[in-house]
Amino acid sequence: MDVKKERELRDAEVTAEKNILRTNIEKFLNWGRVHSFWPNSFGLACCAIEMASTGGARYDLSRFGYEVFQASPRQADLMIVAGTLTRKMAPVARRIYDQMPEPKWAIAMGNCACSGGPFADSYAVVPGADSIIPIDVYIPGCPPRPESLIFGMLQLKHKIQHPSKVRLNQYGK
Amino acid sequence: MVSDMLRAQVDELAARVNGEVEEHLGELELTVHYPDAIETLTSVKNFSEVPCDFLHDLCGMDLEDHLEVVYQLSSLRGPQRLRIIARVERDNPVIDSATSIWRGADFLEREAFDMFGIQFKGHPNLKRIYLWDDFEGYPMRKDYVVESHEQRAIMRVRKEGE
Repeated sequence: MDVKKERELRDAEVTAEKNILRTNIEKFLNWGRVHSFWPNSFGLACCAIEMASTGGARYDLSRFGYEVFQASPRQADLMIVAGTLTRKMAPVARRIYDQMPEPKWAIAMGNCACSGGPFADSYAVVPGADSIIPIDVYIPGCPPRPESLIFGMLQLKHKIQHPSKVRLNQYGK
Repeated sequence: MVSDMLRAQVDELAARVNGEVEEHLGELELTVHYPDAIETLTSVKNFSEVPCDFLHDLCGMDLEDHLEVVYQLSSLRGPQRLRIIARVERDNPVIDSATSIWRGADFLEREAFDMFGIQFKGHPNLKRIYLWDDFEGYPMRKDYVVESHEQRAIMRVRKEGE
């Protein structure tokens, strides 16, 4: 460790003792956001049962601060597409996503939302919610267990807190 | 078990509307042609002692050479059950609506129209119920071709103000 780095760390220690932390505003806001997702309860099929179970007492999503399932998209910042997205529902789903205020994220929960699942070739089902909504995290499973949903949300948390790491994984720069 | 009283009345009705009676798994089936459907249903509803006056279900069927509308009837006042099958032409599937007899037939007939394209004459609001309005074809018909999602990778265009 060079002298310059050591001096910086010592300065940080001194400010921390005075109850002052230095960071940038984006990191600070993201720190708040990732500990309080307000998901939009957009349950479309049986995955919604697992989503409800995740919010219940046994799996207790509220220990991460994610339990405020909002019925209105205007008060939500995370859309969990839980279930089979039919073509008739697709314009509604897109509209709900558009109504959510920025910053917003979306999770595709279950095989149907990821890729159409067993109904991919059906005349009435959208093959993957990502054809209408930009999806951040895909959770496979039919339906995924509550642990999977929690893991998916923690992956999203990781993704938001470390945008450079995601960029590195995806594009290598 | 089919009661003798119901059987006698169904036989009498079948002779009048030129229908066929069959017993299937302990339940009577009366097959008629579509022009006689409303007369049959009205008489069945007004049977003495064993009225079949509750429309349990109504659905379409595709038997390749013709279509069928199946009425499942029962009653809240007894154990009697009856199934009326109305044969409909495949090229011109038109039948009189049962909404004048049972208001509850409204959505059921819309479903049969949606899936099989059976036109119910006299229905107050005959339009698609499950699929969207500009969907082409009737997906539950045997000759409906299901393409893979790669072939069919077209999305519904969002309408203004939707």
